[in-house]
Amino acid sequence: MRIEAQALEHFYAHEKVLNGVDIEILPGSFTAIIGESGSGKTTLLSILSTLLQPSLGVVRYDGKSLQELGDIDRFRRTNIGFVFQFHYLISYLTLRENIALAALDTTLIDPLLVELGIEKLGSRYSDEVSGGERQRAAIARALINRPSIVFADEPTGNLDTKNALGVYELFKRFAGEGTGFVVASHDKKIADYADIIIEMEDGIVKQIHKR
Amino acid sequence: MYSAMLKTDGDIIVTQKGIADTFFSDINNSLSAEIRKITGVKESSALILGAAPVDKLPIVAIYGVSDNRYDSYTLASGRYPKEDEVILGSKIFETLKHPKTIVLSKKEFVVSGVFKSRIGFEDGGVVMNLSDAGELFHKSASIFLVSLNDLGKSEAIVTQINALNGDIEAKTTDSFIDSYNQFKIIQTSSDVIGAMAFLMGILGIVSMMSMVVNDRKGEFGIMRSIGLSSRVIIFKLLSETLIIALVAYGVALGASLGILELIEHADKFQGYINGEITTVLMVNVFIVSVTMALLGTFLPALYASRIDPMSLIQRGGA
Repeated sequence: MRIEAQALEHFYAHEKVLNGVDIEILPGSFTAIIGESGSGKTTLLSILSTLLQPSLGVVRYDGKSLQELGDIDRFRRTNIGFVFQFHYLISYLTLRENIALAALDTTLIDPLLVELGIEKLGSRYSDEVSGGERQRAAIARALINRPSIVFADEPTGNLDTKNALGVYELFKRFAGEGTGFVVASHDKKIADYADIIIEMEDGIVKQIHKR
Repeated sequence: MYSAMLKTDGDIIVTQKGIADTFFSDINNSLSAEIRKITGVKESSALILGAAPVDKLPIVAIYGVSDNRYDSYTLASGRYPKEDEVILGSKIFETLKHPKTIVLSKKEFVVSGVFKSRIGFEDGGVVMNLSDAGELFHKSASIFLVSLNDLGKSEAIVTQINALNGDIEAKTTDSFIDSYNQFKIIQTSSDVIGAMAFLMGILGIVSMMSMVVNDRKGEFGIMRSIGLSSRVIIFKLLSETLIIALVAYGVALGASLGILELIEHADKFQGYINGEITTVLMVNVFIVSVTMALLGTFLPALYASRIDPMSLIQRGGA
């Protein structure tokens, strides 16, 4: 899915956190958005992933604006996955139930758990597994409907180096299978995996590197 | 209670005209025989209602009854009373520790038997024959309880009874209970107290459900971030609320019935305090409490559904 953002601006109260952002995300690409805390990465990611309405500007998905897409929840469920920094698994559900909550086809859960190496943890709750395993379950939830694109906001922010690299490897593997990834991070290592690196500073795009 | 006793024993109640309380009513017992002659009347029994100290108890209800009313009392032991004898309700019999005799107004009576009554008011009382009660309270009867062959003719029979004598007043038992001041006061007081408690409970339910939904904003945001529609999420929340409300209602109803049962059988109250939860009340409480719980969930959930998922997650955490 091709995503185009034009003249995006966003305010929290009176504070402007995005100040005229124009970017394009190409289908199946691995895009990294890097920058310091407060540079506007998370806000941009939230807007691109339809989780937040921009104060100004427009985002188009394969040429259609949000208004033209119609049922935004349905669109999000079938086309977009999201991985948060703090996994955000629902604590009273098992890992499998968390994934099933998002799944359009629950028969895909077991193969995906195997693919992510957490097939033995499906019946456990999020507080019964390690941070890396939690994040893998969150990735499984994002990937279960085989979305066109997955957004990840600091997905390795709470992981040690080994687990962080494991997450990047997973993203790279799925990106190779056609799923686009947009990952916001202040971890410079993400640059080694990305096709496109968008560098942000003070709410604007400072530079775009293509590899 | 007293109203239950009257309801059980008669279709029409006859008292002294214009009297405020049956305990002060004084009517001529000979009229009972005339009432029995009216077509459609099955039975008419006379009662003297009084209260007096009995041994260590400062006040006990005394019932003087005509012979044809003894059948209303199910004997647990002994036999119905003759002259200078009484039967005791099982509660007072226990309270007085199984006495062989009791003293009423300085006169000793032999306890000839013990009866059991579902009506606590009666079960804590003393029953004697009408003439002994007449001597104690200086009247031949307080009220008549009239039972009918056909309830449909009650209004016509009430008119006929009232026509017998200008000093008496007949009413159907239901209309008597509805118009009896003491019952009205008790009923109104309990209604007001109950309504206040219920209102506070309802406000508590609404607040609690609103807080629960507010606390779950983050979860709401996560669900929406994975593509669940607001409609599905609200339905899920309402379903959970409905289950909680049903369980809570069941527990509350069970507890209320249990408390009423305990009060009814508590020795301390000697069966004088009795209550009932009618089907109408149960249904009304159920409808109002479940509706308010659902509203308390629906309104904040609807509000949350209009907020961006990311804002919900940031506000609510997870």
